[in-house]
Amino acid sequence: MLTTVVGHYPKIPNRPRPARLRLAIARYERGEISAQELARVQDEVTIEVIQEQVEAGVDVITDGQIRWEDDQTYIARRLTGFAIDGLVRYLDTNTYFRQPVVVGEVRWQGPILVDDYRFAVQHSSRPVKAVITGPYTLALLSKDQHYGHRARLVTALAQALAQEAKALEEAGAPIIQLSEPMILWHPEDWDLFAQAVATVVEGLKCETALYTWFGSVEALYPRLLTLPVTTIGIDLISKPINWQVIGQYPFPADKKLAAGIVDGRNTRMETVEELVAAIRHLARICPPQRLYLNPSCGLEYLPREVAQAKLRRLVEGAKAAQQALEVG
Amino acid sequence: MALTTSAVGSYPKPDYLVQARNAYSRGKMTRQELWELEKKATALWIRLQEEVGLDVLVHGEMERGDMVAYFAELMPQSMKIGGLVRSYGNRYYHKPIIVDKLRWPGPMTVEMWQYAQSLTSRPVKGMLTGPYTMVEWSFDEYYPSRREAVMDMARVLREEVKALVEAGCRYIQIDEPAIHTRPEEDFDLAVEAFQLVVKDIDAIFHTHICYGEVEKIYPHMLRLPVRQIHLALKNTNFEYLKLLQQHPWDPEKELGAGVVDVHVRRVEEPEEVAQGIRQVLKYVPPERVWVLPDCGLKTRTIEEAQAKLKAMVDGVRLVKRELGLL
Repeated sequence: MLTTVVGHYPKIPNRPRPARLRLAIARYERGEISAQELARVQDEVTIEVIQEQVEAGVDVITDGQIRWEDDQTYIARRLTGFAIDGLVRYLDTNTYFRQPVVVGEVRWQGPILVDDYRFAVQHSSRPVKAVITGPYTLALLSKDQHYGHRARLVTALAQALAQEAKALEEAGAPIIQLSEPMILWHPEDWDLFAQAVATVVEGLKCETALYTWFGSVEALYPRLLTLPVTTIGIDLISKPINWQVIGQYPFPADKKLAAGIVDGRNTRMETVEELVAAIRHLARICPPQRLYLNPSCGLEYLPREVAQAKLRRLVEGAKAAQQALEVG
Repeated sequence: MALTTSAVGSYPKPDYLVQARNAYSRGKMTRQELWELEKKATALWIRLQEEVGLDVLVHGEMERGDMVAYFAELMPQSMKIGGLVRSYGNRYYHKPIIVDKLRWPGPMTVEMWQYAQSLTSRPVKGMLTGPYTMVEWSFDEYYPSRREAVMDMARVLREEVKALVEAGCRYIQIDEPAIHTRPEEDFDLAVEAFQLVVKDIDAIFHTHICYGEVEKIYPHMLRLPVRQIHLALKNTNFEYLKLLQQHPWDPEKELGAGVVDVHVRRVEEPEEVAQGIRQVLKYVPPERVWVLPDCGLKTRTIEEAQAKLKAMVDGVRLVKRELGLL
């Protein structure tokens, strides 16, 4: 039973700690500091948030995506064929991202996340998971002005991101995660989606994960379990019905389940008892050695201190559950 | 009256007030000193709006920062202000937290409304944030479901509405910019909560739906129990009027037409404003159209805001003349 995170981590702390990254970005935008100076602050903040995750006791961390403005543009800006447009709401959150617009052929033109991965590994005593926004989600959250056909865009993105995945594997990433929340709202696109996921992970030997969040998996289950990835990530907080859905089918012996059991969007702190009960329930669906426990989504929807407290609580809950399960 | 002019809510704060708010937050100014400056700035905006010639005024929200946090801070038994959360880019806000049962703490907006109204013979709108938005833009550590939180918030706001009406307020605008966050799931709840706020209260209710995503909730939004719904039309180049082509505007409701863009510095020409209004009049007759900026003008400078209001009023005059209303 391992604890992990889903993706992003809050970029700035609250008083009395200084909001260094916010200040650095503001100064960069005013032309007061150089891109290199901004990058140095981003590196330092990345180290801080890696340490916060490690201190909390999380087994498998991410780099916190401190350099990312959002899940879409960080990738899109570094592929060919994208322009970046105005703000749109991210799913049902009160956060916004600049919408990528596909204006030409989408191609991979070199590693996007590899340097970030290497930097994180150097500064982490725990394994670091590489996180890529999946081709289907990236396509659906972009505006297509070039391909004119969803399948063609998704396929082009899958081919581009497959090269990124390969580059990350070569750099030593032990786990590569694809983030694909959007498929939950479009079960009719299953075949296209499954093909795209297969394209990205084809030939990879490292562990792979497919994470979803915010939506119900009802319409996709148990098909979701047939994807050629090691781990399936499911948010059990936003849609409690997901508990029932995953309980209805045997969990395949060759897969791992990543369960989002700590609310990444609300400050209310889960109790250790609640978490132990949830983990006991999960252990009946999937053996503990094949379980990942994580927040329901990335942690940027929370203030930084609450995010870390939630991770601490997750680890506490996992430890208590481990003991409880051993006792029987 | 045809083509009534008004504004959406917020205006830019004068520098002295921005500095005073900072000083107050650092504990270097008393609440009373800040209040005097908030009144001074409010008086400025009442005068500027009268000079420009708006028909129905707003007080300008000189005493408010964030439209949710303002109320949260006035309900310390029920809510507290949480840490910073990013909304996009490099923008962060302090997201409030519901920590206990939501209870009305006594009037939250009445004193400032009374002050603003005392300065003018024109009506000044009362300004509230709607129950769905108040809850959606807060964390909730108390209620087991969003529904319970939203309905209790509606009870709080109903008390505030009653207090405003008792003080003599006739026009009350209740903003619900979060209403299209998850419309399939929550729209009925948002309408039910709104109903609870306004039911059987003798006042004229308006609501402002912030720019973007109107297509997600039209025509359902016409179920909101208000006299007027305000749409930001200019920023999207009057695209939303296509929705009115597909499904006509409710004949019982007024359309508050946003005809100047609050997100650009450029000041519209009166003729440009008039063109916008003419487009609106293809769908809704002039006696049911109010003319306003797209949104609150607080992100503009005082001079820009004033110039935009002036262009708006001049544009309305052009159209009124054409219609033989002047």
